[in-house]
Amino acid sequence: MSAGNLPTDGLVIFAKRHCETCAMVERVFEQLVRSSLPTAVLTQDDPTFPTLVKAVDDTELEQSFRFDVETVPTVIRLKNGKEVARAFGWNRADWERVTGVRDLGVELPAMRPGCGSLSREPGVWEELVARYGDSGLASRRIPIGEWNDEIETCFDRGWSDGLPVVPPTDARIMRMLQGTSRQPDEVIGLVPPNLVPISVEKVAINAVLAGCKPEYMPVILAALEAALEPEAAMHGVVCTTCFSGPILVVNGPITRAIGMNSGINCLGQGNRANATIGRALQLIIRNVGGGRPGELDRAVLGGPGKYTFCFAENESDPTWMPLSVARGIAPGKNAVTLFQGDGIQGFIDQRSRTPEQLTKSLAMSLLAVGNWKLCEFTNAMLVLVPEHYAIYRDAGWDRHRITRELHMAMVRSGRDVIQGALGVGEGIDPRRKDEMVNKFWPEGLLIVHAGGQAGLFSAICAGWTGGRFRHESKTITKEIRL
Amino acid sequence: MKSGLMLRDPTAETSSGLRARVAPLASLANKTIALMDIGKMRGDEFIDRLEQLCHAQGLKTRRYKKPTNTRVAPREMIKDITGNCQAVIIALSDCGSCTSCSTHDLNDLDKNGLTGVSVLTEEFRQAFESQKSAIGFDAASVYVPHPMQNRTTAELHTIAEQAYDAILAAICSAKAPNT
Repeated sequence: MSAGNLPTDGLVIFAKRHCETCAMVERVFEQLVRSSLPTAVLTQDDPTFPTLVKAVDDTELEQSFRFDVETVPTVIRLKNGKEVARAFGWNRADWERVTGVRDLGVELPAMRPGCGSLSREPGVWEELVARYGDSGLASRRIPIGEWNDEIETCFDRGWSDGLPVVPPTDARIMRMLQGTSRQPDEVIGLVPPNLVPISVEKVAINAVLAGCKPEYMPVILAALEAALEPEAAMHGVVCTTCFSGPILVVNGPITRAIGMNSGINCLGQGNRANATIGRALQLIIRNVGGGRPGELDRAVLGGPGKYTFCFAENESDPTWMPLSVARGIAPGKNAVTLFQGDGIQGFIDQRSRTPEQLTKSLAMSLLAVGNWKLCEFTNAMLVLVPEHYAIYRDAGWDRHRITRELHMAMVRSGRDVIQGALGVGEGIDPRRKDEMVNKFWPEGLLIVHAGGQAGLFSAICAGWTGGRFRHESKTITKEIRL
Repeated sequence: MKSGLMLRDPTAETSSGLRARVAPLASLANKTIALMDIGKMRGDEFIDRLEQLCHAQGLKTRRYKKPTNTRVAPREMIKDITGNCQAVIIALSDCGSCTSCSTHDLNDLDKNGLTGVSVLTEEFRQAFESQKSAIGFDAASVYVPHPMQNRTTAELHTIAEQAYDAILAAICSAKAPNT
């Protein structure tokens, strides 16, 4: 009997060999097939099962999907092609009620639970919806030929940042959407530079491309919300001739839950969440916003951070106030901070023993951000590693003290940094020659605690040049909605 | 062409689902047109006439012939065309496999910066559209009557003459190039 030849008035039974209850009730299947009711037994895993009656092959799980079977065995009573009753697992009374056949399996126990339907196994359901059902997805369908390589197709379509992407099939997109409680058609905002509305569904598609797992979705959505805040100035960051891109710092318990790296090599390669969350945001900007290099992205050099730059802050040291908390998010909450910045400038100091020494040393390197003579021009992010932080912590310095002391250590005479001073054309406005000048705006120096336990090598990320417009381009922190 | 995987568009869908082709040349003066014979029978007679018409107008051409219409062009041929020509005319597809392979060739050359057009028989309009869609490439085409295998040489030449203007228009924005 074929799957297309199921009785419209009768019984359909779903079973699988690898279910002890199904095997136990094989005699019941035989009883029902021999009853006056037309009966089809559909097998999910082995066409030779059950052995006592001829089974309908449903190893493609199409009928299991269409009948929405959750448990095997399941028996369904059909009248005029419509379901009128169903029982699942083995319960003699239920099966007799549904089938109208008496004395079923009298030698069997009265009741025995069934097993999960193969159609409901993780990852299978979405494939079946894509194949036989309605995914509900609204984005344009892109058919590709059977002989065309799907990875190459994604390259040819211009969807890639240069590395292979995961082809966005309906099943993958549906699985991705399960990572958020937000509706697929919810619009998050307008993505620059083309200022195009983006829905949660488009976010999910690009998250698939990037290689994300569904549980990353809340972080991606928060990062996108941060990027779309007008003060994030993402339009400028995307189109700038500078090196910059969004640098994402993630805080809160979600970083541990999704396995983000805040330790060894956290600014480098090797961690899926770090790598793909940052990449998803960049792909959204490319694919939805239209920010493609050489077109509207006009970076003269760019930087490797424009593939992805995302990491978690190390929150394991209770003496350290997390970045998100310093920026107004309640302790224990999840948050994403978006800093518009460049790649890293390594800071090496293996000799300083006191916080005063280390502060002077850090200040020397921080002064080099952008240009030694530029002030209140770019922001900066200092990624302070555990061994450097330990010098501060052991002396009782906290985040606020470190930040304050660093700012103070970078105050210079305007005379030394005005344009033309020291024989260098670059510099600040010559009218400020008699002022004492700060290197950064008071809020323009971010400190993040991250990195492996060993190594006196912190990192400085220069901010983009839009930071000189203090009130127009700001670091943005968003709480993550789960 | 069989259907395969179905993907969803990650873009804003503000433009065609197909990649735009390289724009036609502004002029054919001092340019070399590759005349790519896909290797199918009778195609050479059609191309012979195209070649004559081009030369009569003072247009420079370079002739190529694929070893078989059932496979994409050898890499050396693509490299040669890319290195020596600025536009390509691919002819003449009148079957499924040659339609598919020649569209891939056109795509390959387009990605190398050459504007081009594929000449096919009317019967393969749908196959060409499907292949364009599968590749994601907004390829240019000119259709001629089907069938062609049972035509006389004179008839094939007449078909070439009738299609000539449309073929040139597909690779040169000046519809009636006066070079």
